[in-house]
Amino acid sequence: MTEISAKYEQLVQDLRRDFRPQREWGEGRGLFLVIGHFLVGVAAGAWLFGLIFNYGPGLVAGFILAGGGGIAHLAFLGRPERFWKMVRHVRTAWISRGFIGLTLFLAGAVLYLPPLVLADWPWAANSALGYLGWGMAAAGMVVLIVYMGFVYTASKGIPFWNSPLHPVLYMAYALRGGIAALLVTMALFDAPSPSAASLVTIWIAVTAIVIVLFALEIQGALTGGNPAARRSVREMLAGRMAVYFYGGTLLIGLVVPLALLSGQIAPFGVGVLAAIGLFSALGDFFMKYTTIRAGIYLPLRPRQLRHR
Amino acid sequence: MNMVNVLNKAPRPIDDVWIPSSCSLCYGTCSILAHRVDGVVVKIEGNPESAVGKGRLCGKGVSGIMTHYDPNRLTRPLRRTNPKKGLSEDPRWKEISWDEALDEISAVLRKVRAEDPRKLVVQRTTTVTASRVPFQTFAAAFGTPNFSVSGGGQHCGNGAHLISGMMHASWSIVPDFEYCNYAIYFGASKGHSAGHASCSNMGKAADARARGMKMVVVDPICNFAAAKATEWVPLRVGTDAALALAMCNVMVNELGIYDGPYLQAKTNAPYLIGPDKLYVRHPESKQPLVWDTRSNTARPYTEVAAADMALEGEFTVDGTRCRPSFHCLRDHLCKFTPEWAEEISTIGAATIRRLAKEFGTEARVGSTIVVEGVTLPYRPVAAIAFRGSQGHMNSVYNFYAVDLLNHLVGAADVVGSCLGFNPTCHGHPDTGKLRYIPSAGPDGLMVTGMWMGYHYPYPPSEPRLPTNLGLQDLFVLGMTSPFLDSTDREEMWERFDLPYRPEVMVNFGANLVMSIANKEAVAASLAKYKFMVSFDLFLTETSNFADIVLPDCGYLQSLDSRSNFPFIFSLPAGMGEWCWPIRQPVLPPDGEQRHCADVLLEIADRVGFRADLNAAYNASLNIQAPHRLEGETRYSYAQICDAELKNNFGIERGLDWFKEQGVIKWKKKPEEVYWRPFVDVRVPIYWEFMLPIGAKIAAIAEPRGLKIPMEYYEPLPDFLPCTSHCCQKQDFDFYAFYYRDIVHTNSFTMENPWLDEAARLDPFSYTIAINATEARKKALHDGQLVWVENEVGHKVKGRLKLTEAIHPEGIGIAAMCGHWSDGMPIAKGKGVFFNELLELDWAHVSPVNNNLDLCAKVRVVPVEAVP
Amino acid sequence: MRWGMVIDLKRCIGCYGCQLACKAEHGTPPGVYYARVLKDEQGQYPTVSNISLPVLCNHCEDAPCIEACPTGASFKWEDDGIVDIDHDLCVGCRSCMMACPYTNRYFNDQPAHYHQQGATPYEAARTAHHQSNVVMKCNFCRDRVRSGKPPACVANCPTVARIFGDLDDPTSEVSRLIKERGGFTLHPELGTGPSVYYLPA
Ligand SMILES: Nc1nc2c(c(=O)[nH]1)N[C@H]1C(S)=C(S)[C@@H](COP(=O)(O)OP(=O)(O)OC[C@H]3O[C@@H](n4cnc5c(=O)[nH]c(N)nc54)[C@H](O)[C@@H]3O)O[C@H]1N2
Ligand SMILES: Nc1nc2c(c(=O)[nH]1)N[C@H]1C(S)=C(S)[C@@H](COP(=O)(O)OP(=O)(O)OC[C@H]3O[C@@H](n4cnc5c(=O)[nH]c(N)nc54)[C@H](O)[C@@H]3O)O[C@H]1N2
Ligand code: SF4
Ligand code: SF4
Ligand code: SF4
Ligand code: SF4
Ligand code: SF4
Ligand SMILES: [Mo]
Repeated sequence: MTEISAKYEQLVQDLRRDFRPQREWGEGRGLFLVIGHFLVGVAAGAWLFGLIFNYGPGLVAGFILAGGGGIAHLAFLGRPERFWKMVRHVRTAWISRGFIGLTLFLAGAVLYLPPLVLADWPWAANSALGYLGWGMAAAGMVVLIVYMGFVYTASKGIPFWNSPLHPVLYMAYALRGGIAALLVTMALFDAPSPSAASLVTIWIAVTAIVIVLFALEIQGALTGGNPAARRSVREMLAGRMAVYFYGGTLLIGLVVPLALLSGQIAPFGVGVLAAIGLFSALGDFFMKYTTIRAGIYLPLRPRQLRHR
Repeated sequence: MNMVNVLNKAPRPIDDVWIPSSCSLCYGTCSILAHRVDGVVVKIEGNPESAVGKGRLCGKGVSGIMTHYDPNRLTRPLRRTNPKKGLSEDPRWKEISWDEALDEISAVLRKVRAEDPRKLVVQRTTTVTASRVPFQTFAAAFGTPNFSVSGGGQHCGNGAHLISGMMHASWSIVPDFEYCNYAIYFGASKGHSAGHASCSNMGKAADARARGMKMVVVDPICNFAAAKATEWVPLRVGTDAALALAMCNVMVNELGIYDGPYLQAKTNAPYLIGPDKLYVRHPESKQPLVWDTRSNTARPYTEVAAADMALEGEFTVDGTRCRPSFHCLRDHLCKFTPEWAEEISTIGAATIRRLAKEFGTEARVGSTIVVEGVTLPYRPVAAIAFRGSQGHMNSVYNFYAVDLLNHLVGAADVVGSCLGFNPTCHGHPDTGKLRYIPSAGPDGLMVTGMWMGYHYPYPPSEPRLPTNLGLQDLFVLGMTSPFLDSTDREEMWERFDLPYRPEVMVNFGANLVMSIANKEAVAASLAKYKFMVSFDLFLTETSNFADIVLPDCGYLQSLDSRSNFPFIFSLPAGMGEWCWPIRQPVLPPDGEQRHCADVLLEIADRVGFRADLNAAYNASLNIQAPHRLEGETRYSYAQICDAELKNNFGIERGLDWFKEQGVIKWKKKPEEVYWRPFVDVRVPIYWEFMLPIGAKIAAIAEPRGLKIPMEYYEPLPDFLPCTSHCCQKQDFDFYAFYYRDIVHTNSFTMENPWLDEAARLDPFSYTIAINATEARKKALHDGQLVWVENEVGHKVKGRLKLTEAIHPEGIGIAAMCGHWSDGMPIAKGKGVFFNELLELDWAHVSPVNNNLDLCAKVRVVPVEAVP
Repeated sequence: MRWGMVIDLKRCIGCYGCQLACKAEHGTPPGVYYARVLKDEQGQYPTVSNISLPVLCNHCEDAPCIEACPTGASFKWEDDGIVDIDHDLCVGCRSCMMACPYTNRYFNDQPAHYHQQGATPYEAARTAHHQSNVVMKCNFCRDRVRSGKPPACVANCPTVARIFGDLDDPTSEVSRLIKERGGFTLHPELGTGPSVYYLPA
């Protein structure tokens, strides 16, 4: 069976279900969207903390990750050659806003970063051009941190995502991702780095916030009265996505970093910090992956007519 | 492509036409318009000019394009090179030329015709209504009585068509949707998914529903009709007679509701019955006697005013004690109490009483109504039945009992009642042709005016030592027969010293390996033919048994002057229009495809019986001078079509006229639609003729060791259990039955990818429906892969669909799926092959009309649990 | 004006005629259904009822799919309220599929034909203008409607369960039926303002 015919078979089966899972975002080529969203989120976080800690390699990492995220987005699109058309609907579409954010960010970073890290650049980081770049990148970063959750919240077809907590959660992910990126970069670059202790503290704080937000979201989905949202939670905790959730989100993203943090597994050092960052980021990836793939469409089954 | 087209960005199509023709995805034959653009059919829509479909098509009809353009269609004649025939034998097809094919076929047929033409079996599928004329005519001219419609008839018609014919002079029955207020369906889906005039009736039934017609559906599963019904009455499979008889009993004996004047004038209810259960006849004229209440004497029914005929009472005529047949019926009904029927059918006695009361009351016995200025009896109730209830051992009594409900209250072919499909036509106004009206036959009982089957339903012919392979000349109430393929056919033929055996089969489309019963049985019979030629669209499971397969034209490539049958088949009943559509080619043949009708003509020429064939065409199409086909003249099929059309509609309305117009239509008159009061015929509510027929059959069969169960030949209906009802085996807790899917026609349409897709989206089309509660009791779950196995060990695999909408003892399987031929790759492996559960022998057919028993007692076992 | 459709569930028998007539009209590839028929049952044996619910794009007044679309490929015709897709603009981001609460949008990355052997002449002719890797959905048969014909699914429905007309015109048959028979829409709580109404069975 070819990939496409397998997908078709799956669709036919899905259409017979009461609760039809969305598969366009997250499966097959749709995986690139998750990767793209993940990378861009981490990138924005890395940029933010790079700025805060004034840590050049963090900014570089942010730029590279955002570039990768952009490419992943293109790979996801059905018609990548038309990508520039996505600017047309900033007025209503979060995707448009995100696209503009990413463009701003990348363009700004191109203006601001090279003079910062390279010698002999035609303009300086603190030149007008450099400030412009800084401003564009900062604005882009804010958009990237903020918009992503709204993409999901705006998806009226998928009640689980359609929660007001989603944007906040995604912002928290960006922060956690940013810290993680910095932890990893620190191991890679031999540059004066922010204090490990403060990074770890922030990581713990953000992680705690993520856990609380996530718990609230699950709780909301379970009690919100929407069967499709409940179903999504079930997919995540006890269904198709459970393996990824427990193995990826919980084990890789939480248990392993915490264990490493405890110092019981290996003596504390740059390597361990990097590992914490890596695992934490991977965990975030799975978090997004599971939430996206656990998306279940609002049922349209005739049964609904009863509640008219 | 020419330069202009290449340069011109949006070339104006050179060819852009809508061509009127006829659908053929099922036997409904709705009128279509095919939109052809530059040689490609891009859309099929209904033809709003026609009464057949009224411009709307069912899902199958609109999907016909995909069947037509199926790349798996046959395009060249094929010859098998592997002489061994069997279910798992690869025929190893080799392409041959038409000349080679026709040479071989003609040589074989010439030899057989010289030896004994009866060795030829001609068979066609019922799905293509228009194939009836060319194939039946070919068989008649060739000289063989052995004509078959594979699963058709044995499944759907031996009871339904026999009794619809005998009681309503038509192929089938339907509520008068325009006026009916209360319809009760016994195993029929008319107006909701299948049946005659299927698509037209969907519209009519919807109108009736919107108007407020109440509909009660008696069916083991709540599917198409039941879903739209006011009430679903689930019953144990195959027990319809019990319910119907109890309802008759309640109506007549508890409530005293019946239509006396109707029974007196239009039935044999007043005929006097003696102690021998036979008519008391006039000594000289032999006419049945009735009791004249005016003179208080017994007189021939022809001599007494209907109103004076006694319906009840004990009389003595020439020393013989006798009673009117209605009196016998009334007494006979007493034993069918609702409580008794509850035991058998599982329908509560209170429900039965209520249904009887509702039916009887709604009948408004005695009322009249004016339709288009004509005052007519008004009986807005109808009890109808079809394949579901008639497809059993007790086929005849099931249907007879249901139809009695109508006749007891006079709800037969009057306004609002149970109608036959157009039993009376006064003919085309210009030519007077196509006029047919039922007439009074022996004993004043009705003979149909138009018929399309083997033999007229009434009067039955004399049973004789059979010379037909199907034994229909012995079992004279049967129409199509299981004995062409049954596992005990050889035993039967030996028993009756049949002087020949089948050797050659000419098949059109019919996929009998799938459509009759378990495949092993039918395969064994097919493998025995010395030579088989099959006209096909695809390499079906059955064509794989052929020696030569001929690539036929599909419906969009074919010409048929009578795509439908006049008019008792799929022209909607009730008021409206008479409508005669044709079928015409919209596209040319692909590759070497040839239309079967022309091929048959050529075969006749090669074998050398064109003159016989011309004569047979004249007879079957009722062609009169000056249009008669003459002598040995080699007419093409188009010329024959032209002759038929001119003969019926006048010289100016030949084929060319019809190709332009597509259909001809004219208004129906109330006297045609509601013909019953205007035609002096009676129908039997007491089947006196059964006793002598049974006795004669027994006299022939029993000395030869075949016991005839005489309880099936009683003049009054009874409930007789099916083989499945007598099964006592442990764990065999379910009655398996099938029903038609709305998107599939028999075994044909699974190969259509759009329909296959729709069926896959449907929760039931390809699954096995089981009652959710019962399934859970057996720890079976939704989607589980199970075996369904009959008592003999035949079994099929499939996935369960748990539902609340099925009788707790029922196992419902849709359509005729489960193809395994590589020639139909889309169909292959889809759905569940129900027929594997059907046994094909004397023990599983009605001993009266040879209808196959379509219910099987089964057990359901998870696939893993079986080694 | 605002085109709308009324589907009479009392008449509808769940025959799939609309789904298939639509397929025939538009030649939609496997896995793309502008029209579908959903089936379900309510109640318990023996008081069970079966329900068929034909669905198609609701041509929402406040269409979330348009809102979510970054390119403007999804848009509403101002003159008749039809929600349509300009396939030349679509980037195939599928945001609209996540936004449509009625799951009436399909991504066409399927093989454009049904038979393994390739496109049939019908498919070749009918699907010549299709684009792949874009999202597709019902457009109320706008071409037919503009040439004065009802949508294909409406014209063909064998039970005449589907009625098409102007919702803005209070005297139109659709408006009248909605009013007289208590027409309702799907998921009204979402505030999308569907133009497809159902009449109770
Ligand atoms: N399980 C189950 N069994 C059944 C039934 C059921 O619904 N379910 N139905 C029963 C009934 S009532 C009947 S009538 C029989 C029907 O049984 P069959 O008469 O065998 O009918 P189909 O299965 O429709 O097969 C029709 C065949 O005709 C071919 N065909 C169609 N059009 C043309 C054409 O133009 N030319 C040629 N040469 N061939 C064509 C198709 O390829 C198809 O193979 O089956 C009976 N058996
Ligand atoms: N869509 C479609 N239309 C068709 C056809 C097709 O295959 N598909 N085939 C054509 C042909 S050849 C025919 S003969 C007609 C047949 O048309 P119908 O007679 O309407 O066909 P079925 O669906 O086989 O049977 C009707 C109902 O009987 C029920 N039933 C089964 N067993 C019993 C029983 O013991 N008692 C009662 N009361 N009900 C029972 C079934 O569940 C089903 O709902 O349709 C014709 N039209
Ligand atoms: S009812 Fe039969 S003849 Fe009519 S459109 Fe459907 S498949 Fe064709
Ligand atoms: S075509 Fe009409 S009757 Fe058939 S499913 Fe669609 S709306 Fe219902
Ligand atoms: S039904 Fe869905 S696709 Fe159609 S307009 Fe509404 S939101 Fe958009
Ligand atoms: S897939 Fe196309 S129509 Fe849908 S939101 Fe993206 S660009 Fe718009
Ligand atoms: S309106 Fe046209 S496009 Fe929409 S579902 Fe009906 S037939 Fe399909
Ligand atoms: Mo049939």
